[in-house]
Amino acid sequence: MRTGQPRLGSQNRIAAYFAAVVSDESVRECFAGPAAFPILPNKRVYFARNRGDGEDKEEVEAKVQALGVTATSKYMGEQWLVHVPGTHTRSATHHPQKNCVSNFVTFTTRHQATTTFIMVGPTASLAPLYRADGSSSYTCPATGYELLGAVNAPVELPARRDALKPEEATVEVFVKPGTTTAGVGERYVEGILRSVLATVILGREKGLPRRGVVITLAIVGGEDVERGDSYLTLLPALLHTSLLALLSATVPLSMTFSATLLGVTKSGIIIPDPSAADAKAMASLHALAFSSKGHLLLNESQGRFEFDTWEAVRQKALAICQNTAVSADGDVSMAEGAEGAPLHDFVRETVEDQVHRDYPWKIDAV
Amino acid sequence: MASATGAASHPVPPSLSLPPSQFARLQPHAYLLAHLSPPAASNQPSIRANGRASSQFRVTSANAGSLTHTNGSAVVRMGDTTSVCGVRAEILRTEDIASWSVSRTSNEASNKRRRLAELNEKPNEEDEDTAADDEEDRAHIEDLNLLVPNLSLSTGCAPGFTPGAPPSALAQSLSHQLLSLLHSTRLVRADDLRIWYQPPSLGPEELERHNDDEQMDVDPNPSGGVEDHKNREIKGFWVLYIDVMIISLAGNPFDAAWASVLAALRDTKLPRSWWDVDSEMILCSDNVSEASKLSLRGLPVASSFCVFEADAAAGWRAVVIPDAEEQKARSQKKGSQQRWILADPDGYEENLGQERICLVVDKEKGGKGKTVVLKMEKHGGWTVDTDDLRQLVDISARRWDEMKRILDQC
Repeated sequence: MRTGQPRLGSQNRIAAYFAAVVSDESVRECFAGPAAFPILPNKRVYFARNRGDGEDKEEVEAKVQALGVTATSKYMGEQWLVHVPGTHTRSATHHPQKNCVSNFVTFTTRHQATTTFIMVGPTASLAPLYRADGSSSYTCPATGYELLGAVNAPVELPARRDALKPEEATVEVFVKPGTTTAGVGERYVEGILRSVLATVILGREKGLPRRGVVITLAIVGGEDVERGDSYLTLLPALLHTSLLALLSATVPLSMTFSATLLGVTKSGIIIPDPSAADAKAMASLHALAFSSKGHLLLNESQGRFEFDTWEAVRQKALAICQNTAVSADGDVSMAEGAEGAPLHDFVRETVEDQVHRDYPWKIDAV
Repeated sequence: MASATGAASHPVPPSLSLPPSQFARLQPHAYLLAHLSPPAASNQPSIRANGRASSQFRVTSANAGSLTHTNGSAVVRMGDTTSVCGVRAEILRTEDIASWSVSRTSNEASNKRRRLAELNEKPNEEDEDTAADDEEDRAHIEDLNLLVPNLSLSTGCAPGFTPGAPPSALAQSLSHQLLSLLHSTRLVRADDLRIWYQPPSLGPEELERHNDDEQMDVDPNPSGGVEDHKNREIKGFWVLYIDVMIISLAGNPFDAAWASVLAALRDTKLPRSWWDVDSEMILCSDNVSEASKLSLRGLPVASSFCVFEADAAAGWRAVVIPDAEEQKARSQKKGSQQRWILADPDGYEENLGQERICLVVDKEKGGKGKTVVLKMEKHGGWTVDTDDLRQLVDISARRWDEMKRILDQC
């Protein structure tokens, strides 16, 4: 019997993961400790558990039950599969990449086994399309959206737009919803994306003025945004997809950015990444984007809130995006805390992975 | 142009100086900058090219009830931006809603919940009631699309708008913003839009009542008692078509459009309507005195801002953008102001800055309570952060007082 060998990732953290639908109170209770993060009812919670030495079935179940989740466990080779009734259990081989863990809480049994509740972060790949200059595909398990983005730049635009701003590139964004034609909501979100991306694209670099940077974003999976619904739930995903596609197309950028969505419940709890269904129950919704240098690039808030609430939301968002939570003594803690890997690192790692895949000959030479 | 000819008519030989109007056209950025940061020696205050202080809004006027063929209408003028809004109400019969019989079950469930709540004691009841109402409101208004705003930027409202063109991206996104703000502020109550039918109590039920309580039979007052609401059913809805037309566009169309929507909805009167069992249709009374106004939730007022940066050339080169903290420190150290946040930008100023902020605020208890933000939008740049936004919320709160006065008068 082999001991739990880390297959991926940094520590013996993930071996299997499950989707569990847990009741609100039970999970909130279990996260009421120092690493509190609240989970909404019916929100998918992934939790992974790897086997400790000599841990038996009863102990695993007791540990899980201590969280308020009724579950049965089963020993499968190297890991315990904990099955929560009424939930969908994914197979252990369907494993997230190492950089997708964004929020987790770990506890340890006396046998050094660890159980990890993970909020699975986004996954992305670069250049899945061949004909576009740059492209990216992006999946966000927390909200369920899947997007595909393509960038063509620089291109000659068919319509003459010199009259607008001849000295810089025209940024055009098109958003295609999954099942319908684009409507007024898409026009609105295109406008927002354009204004955010135009601030980071260096449109006056050589070869770009008078040309166009055309970004096409297709919503491949996830819930449809209905008429008049807010686009906020989609905004972070759209921003990340377009940023990765721009990087893949090597469009000159002044800085990168990362974006996140936060919801505030009626009782004032801040919830990261609410899904479209959860978002409807929120008192207010906030989509924020921060540049790699800490500037607030975008803020879209709707719902009823006070300014002090927003400040708390902004701080939380900055911590999620950059993980530069400044503690009381002024130290910048960069360790992986309850927030997990910051989203900014997600962008960086995705690009790094692609570089390692594309240029092994060059890297080896160095 | 008039000033140009005026200059030419002078007897002095033509000089190389330009009249201000031409300078404004040729060097718009330098022109506005010269106004905002006058040389220290000149002793002039920093003022915008249009004569306003940076947090000053344009003169706003509103007039309600201008259109006679609508249920409610308003004209709002902010400087040279003029917006006309008309609200037209049409009846949507529940039998025409395909999913009505399916969705009604949930509706009844919430009715039941409400009735249960009504049985509870007073303070508890209100809480429960509003929670149940909220969900029902949202479901009815959003799922049945009872509010249909549309904004058109009419031909000639600004030089760029030519006849025959499809609605511009600006018009479409403004329409969406109006709709999503109507939804997220929950301004209109679904209860105002419902058309109810109360079937007369028939035989078996009366017997029941007879057994329960004899007094009820003698005096069946329509407003009292849970029993009376038992068989009430919704027979139709009023759908509000909110058409906004920007007849003159000189910057900041959203504030003007939203103000006109707000004024028009405050002006809207819906005729008394009921379900007629004999003809099986919804009838409306044409008696004006019986028509009722909408009871809106709060008074959300929008105020928009635009950022003007002193360094026009910042975008020209791939300059190293300072870190957020560094930038803050630098702006505090430097004596001269590097950027200005201009309230209610006109068309000229909008062209000179990319960064936009839009705030929608409301004050609780009719202006006496605290300020609540209903929407905060900021994009297009990186200079505005928490401190500025906090100030802007204060400015918006002051604007709220002003707009309330204007809207109350119209």
